[in-house]
Amino acid sequence: MAAVLASPLTAPLGVALVWVALLGPALCALAVLLLRRRAVVLVADVVASSVVLLCGVALLAGVADGGAAVVTAGGLLRVDPLAGYLLVVVGAVALTATWGGLSPARARSRRGGRYTALVCLFLAAMVLAVVADDLGVTWVAVEGTTITTAFLVGFAGGRRAVEAAWKYVVLASVGVGIAFLGLVLLYAATRAAGDPTLSWVRLVTDRPAVDPTVARMGLLLAALGFATKAGLAPMHAWLPDAHSQAPAPVSGLMSGVLLAVAFGAVLRIQRLDAVLLDGTAVRTLLLVGGLLSLLVAAVLVVTQRDVKRMLAYSSIEHMGLVAVAAAVGGRLALAAMLVHLLVHGLAKASTFVMAGRVLAVERTTTIADVHGLVRSAPRVGIPFLAGAVTLLGLPPSGLFLTEAALVVAGLRAGYGWAMAIVLVLLLVVFVGMGRAVMAMTLGARPEPAGPPEAVAAATEALTAPLVPVVLALTAACLLVMATPLAGTLDSVVAVLGGAP
Amino acid sequence: MSLRLGLLAVLSLALVAACAGGALGTAARQRVSPLLGALVGAAAVWTGALAWSGGTGGLVVGTVLPGVGARYAPDRLGGAFLVLVGAVTVLASVWALDGARGTAASRTAWVAYPLFVLGLLGVMAAADVVAFLLAWEVMAVASAVLVLADHAHRPEVVGAGLWYAGMTQLSFLLVLGGFAVLASAAGGTAWADLARLAPDAGATGLGVGLLLLGFVTKAGAVPVHVWLPRAHPEAPSHVSALMSAAMVKAGVYGVLLVVVRLFPAGPSWWGLVLLVVGSVSAVFGILQAGVAADLKRLLAYSTTENVGLILVAVGAAQVTTARGDVATGHVLLVAALLLTSGHAAAKSVLFLTAGSVLHATGLRDLDRLGGLGRTMPWTCGAFGVAALGAAGLPVTAGFVAEWTLLQALVHAGGPADPRLGLVSALAVTVVALTAGLALMTFTKAFGIAFLGRPRSDGAAAAHEVGRAERVAAALGALAVLGLGLVPGPMATAAVRALGVDGVTAAGTTLAAGVRLGGVAAAPGAVGGAAAGADGLVPVLDPLALSLATLAALVVVAGVVARLRRRAARRAVELGWGCGGARVSPRMQYTATSYAEPLVRIFDAPLGVSRSVATTTADAPYVVRAMSFRQRVRDVFEEHGYRPLLRAAARVGDAGRALHNGSVHRYLAWSFATFVVVLGLAAR
Amino acid sequence: MSSGDASQAVAVLAGLELLTAVLLAWRGPASSPRGPLAVQGFALAGLVAVIGVAEGEPVLWLVALLVAVLKGVVLPTLVVRRPGRTARPDPARAAVARPVVRPAVVRGRSRVPLLLGAAGLVVVAYLAARPVARVVTGATGQALPVGFALVLVGFALLATGRRSQSQLVGFLVLDNGIATTAFLATGGVPLVVELGVSLDVLLVVLVLQVLGSRIDTAFGAGAPGGTDLDQLRELHD
Repeated sequence: MAAVLASPLTAPLGVALVWVALLGPALCALAVLLLRRRAVVLVADVVASSVVLLCGVALLAGVADGGAAVVTAGGLLRVDPLAGYLLVVVGAVALTATWGGLSPARARSRRGGRYTALVCLFLAAMVLAVVADDLGVTWVAVEGTTITTAFLVGFAGGRRAVEAAWKYVVLASVGVGIAFLGLVLLYAATRAAGDPTLSWVRLVTDRPAVDPTVARMGLLLAALGFATKAGLAPMHAWLPDAHSQAPAPVSGLMSGVLLAVAFGAVLRIQRLDAVLLDGTAVRTLLLVGGLLSLLVAAVLVVTQRDVKRMLAYSSIEHMGLVAVAAAVGGRLALAAMLVHLLVHGLAKASTFVMAGRVLAVERTTTIADVHGLVRSAPRVGIPFLAGAVTLLGLPPSGLFLTEAALVVAGLRAGYGWAMAIVLVLLLVVFVGMGRAVMAMTLGARPEPAGPPEAVAAATEALTAPLVPVVLALTAACLLVMATPLAGTLDSVVAVLGGAP
Repeated sequence: MSLRLGLLAVLSLALVAACAGGALGTAARQRVSPLLGALVGAAAVWTGALAWSGGTGGLVVGTVLPGVGARYAPDRLGGAFLVLVGAVTVLASVWALDGARGTAASRTAWVAYPLFVLGLLGVMAAADVVAFLLAWEVMAVASAVLVLADHAHRPEVVGAGLWYAGMTQLSFLLVLGGFAVLASAAGGTAWADLARLAPDAGATGLGVGLLLLGFVTKAGAVPVHVWLPRAHPEAPSHVSALMSAAMVKAGVYGVLLVVVRLFPAGPSWWGLVLLVVGSVSAVFGILQAGVAADLKRLLAYSTTENVGLILVAVGAAQVTTARGDVATGHVLLVAALLLTSGHAAAKSVLFLTAGSVLHATGLRDLDRLGGLGRTMPWTCGAFGVAALGAAGLPVTAGFVAEWTLLQALVHAGGPADPRLGLVSALAVTVVALTAGLALMTFTKAFGIAFLGRPRSDGAAAAHEVGRAERVAAALGALAVLGLGLVPGPMATAAVRALGVDGVTAAGTTLAAGVRLGGVAAAPGAVGGAAAGADGLVPVLDPLALSLATLAALVVVAGVVARLRRRAARRAVELGWGCGGARVSPRMQYTATSYAEPLVRIFDAPLGVSRSVATTTADAPYVVRAMSFRQRVRDVFEEHGYRPLLRAAARVGDAGRALHNGSVHRYLAWSFATFVVVLGLAAR
Repeated sequence: MSSGDASQAVAVLAGLELLTAVLLAWRGPASSPRGPLAVQGFALAGLVAVIGVAEGEPVLWLVALLVAVLKGVVLPTLVVRRPGRTARPDPARAAVARPVVRPAVVRGRSRVPLLLGAAGLVVVAYLAARPVARVVTGATGQALPVGFALVLVGFALLATGRRSQSQLVGFLVLDNGIATTAFLATGGVPLVVELGVSLDVLLVVLVLQVLGSRIDTAFGAGAPGGTDLDQLRELHD
């Protein structure tokens, strides 16, 4: 099996897979808009996610372990191990979020078609951002994710949703605008060096002798811009609002994959910084941004009152950890960071899906108003608790190992002070989030305030399938033990410059 | 035989037990899960014995991360602790056959229980940092689940669980930080790599400092003990036993791992730190236990006291060794292991019997118990023996351990090293004070609960518990007695586990005693051989002592019987009765009144608040009713943790202003960041 | 066109862009931003054309046309467009909404600090553009600070804009600034990217326009675009 997986893809098959991954979700969106059948509307986004996941797995197996990268569209698209890995992340997390978020009621509703189509387009944009080799195309795709999610964030309607959507679009597109300015400056630098290009692989392999100041400006601004979408402080302000107002599956998608995809772009920029310059500029940016993110998350989780905002801050915390890991660099930290991205995505998507069901059952997301879920609604409360515990990095969660590896790698790389800060803030987040989650899930079954109302949404949430959540959480726990995948992970790390 | 097989057996049995706990129906689970738990314990004893006798081999759990694998291969010390944990597991599991009911026997609880044991065993078996941390955290999570087992019925359980989770995470992060410092300095994660570090280097000091702090948090020492008096009472009793007798010992094992195994040549300040922490824990713990009226809370604080004594022993060992008196140091280490085993035996029995009392009466409050000795003779006997052990009285394991500790402390230092002498004198004072208070505490616990008359209907309606509970308690009590009467083998085992030579277990000449060779040795001399010649070697042979005492008792009894036969019997008529004619249970001492002198003396350190309310009728001297309320607080919690938590909440509240909802503010952040980065980049 | 002429033309057009940016910052709330935005867009298109001539790249002519249509006509029109949906705010919602306050319309603000700030930003832009100008060959390097200034002024407009339309204007100025920097520093990014970027900008403006009208509906503003964005404070910690 491993031998088959490890065999390099024959070029046409690989190219076909790239295009399937890219066009599959887009075609699903088209099918939804054209057919408008309820069944299509219901499952189109799940189909799209599955397509991405399958293509991602096949591509990763093909390009990792010494396989050649798949290049197509005249070099604009290129799947190397990192892109393949991120495709798997996109597919796996999206499958969790969309499958877990299946809602016949929404599919029946008037705007259900628009929702599903936008989710599919969102997926397509993320796939493009991942497989694009040209940084300009990556930028276009990342901006495309903002456009496709704008209406998803505001999907619920009402003042809060539209407020969140406005803040999200303004802050995100300005941030990504900064990234474009950075890319422009990078392009100017390469142009002055005689080889104008935004192709990542060409920059990494040709290593043009760029003017260091201009290149540094470009790379720093590009990293800062993409970091906005990755939710790094102090550019993160859109995130809690958007994640708390979007429908739960969309929150899961944004938190679990969009952040990872944007961070993938940051990683590419960081690699360029290491290759073209000495790598300190972006590293410092990531370190400062990561620690700030952890700080912001820790401070705001402590007295958090809304469960979805709490999960959003938890995302900021985890992206902070990921950024610190990327700043630390080296084989161990980078491997831990990559695994962290995937595991966090799976766990966060599951938890958001469950938080959506909590909202449907309890009709509130205020932490103080929810009690004893494990007793009153075990099918919702127990998976929610499990997801939160996974996010807190307790074993058997994979995050446990990645966080420990990060601390060890950070100390080894001489970032002792940063690791001390990380540990203290992790404790604060643990206590704050643990307290909220325990208050919500444990304790006696609350006395029903009145006669139980047969709310359709609550019934749907109580009977919705748990399989995707269980699968995702199991994967989040067991993936780190999958030693046969170590070689694959190593080849992804190698793309980022982690010496084997 | 290879250790690998034993470790595999433990691992697979625990996983099977966890699966069975999840899959079986209620009735089957109640029968099968405890048996599987006991099997896990037995396998652990076997594996530990193998490791202790020098078996080799191990088990590696790989991960996807490069160079990160967890290797489990216990050495002799780990093996000894495996035996200890395994034995306690067997006792607790047997007890649970009858004792675990309701939420304590829920599906979740029986899934978590074997995993808890597995994590515990993993800590002792770990051969590198990753393996240790993984097991440590599995242990923490599973035990937290068990503490929370009864969350739906008693609101205080959730609070206890949160405290426990928070403190246990603090402990984990400290241990993680400490090991990370050491591993990054050493360039490897195996114990062998860490052991190569220079003990007096700055990084080593930092790492060891963090580790010791993390370990004593797990061990429940003051001031990081606050989880313990909360979690132990709220957990199901067999879990309390396991937590107190085995999990707390994981912290002790960690301390020993650092100061004995990794850095035997560490500087003396490590020991001083441990000594201070241990002394404060011992005194504070036993004071709190002395005034506690909740039986399980009393036992929990007594755990803090015992851990304090163990830390005193280890700290004193470290100091004496670092100052050149290696032999005495070795004796002190052996004393630490004797204390550990003795406490494990006594405390598991105490918690299990407390659980039986809870089942029989529904009560943990000593003030409402009483007279259980008549209705629950088995439980009473086992509790009594274990209480003797916990109070450190002869014929029990506790006595042997404390005697050894005192002997070693008394002989440490001497004229050659007055500073060490001062330290040891202070330590002796602490141990003596602790021993005295412990005696009082356990007299109270036993006397109030089992003697006298029932103080409530629940206590009056008590009945003896099921066979499994009795068997477990009796086995544990036998262990307490066995370790106390024949300490020789245990001392030998400890010597071998520690790889030290300050103590020799006497062979044939003394039936089973302990010869503390190192204690009489001149400071600086290694081993007890030199001291053996001048015949001043302190020897402890409790069996001989007991036999002599028994013989003396027989003589005395004979004399008394003769005298009684001569004296005439007289009937006494009480004209007034002095109140004794109409004895009511309310006239008895209660736990609170028994502890009143203690409360008066140690008012300030205990943080006592009491209020007396008098209801009068018509005239102020016609008293209808009086109510007395007394609350003992934990000063460390009151003045250490509460302010910290309040401050954190204040920071959190203030931090909320960061996200006040203004899009302009958010954009201003972005703008400012952009300008700053632009400015820095264009430099 | 000689290099000197091109340099002159670039300077003039860039100056025009900066001027319109300052105008947009200075303008009163009642005046329409459409004119200055259109002028800025056409100036940018002109810039592209001039660079195309100077560098002899015919593809830039096409880009210039695209820029002229998009930034000169479409986007300025979109910004001031009054979406029909907002004309009649839902009376039920308007009734529960907070009392309508429109300080941005009612209260006049002093323009002096704003202009001083803009001047400061231009200085920053000049400093930031210096290293880039060093590596730019040809006639365009000296005008580079204008691109940066536009970015900074646009960003500042965006951050201080109290109404949805003001923020949109700020966004467009920012975007024009980036485009100006791109053309001045590099003669334009690759065509595929340029097309994608243009599409993205167009879509973002459309999205913001729709959202702006939804805000007006949800927050019960009387006139389209009349909602004070400081009312959007329901989501906070």
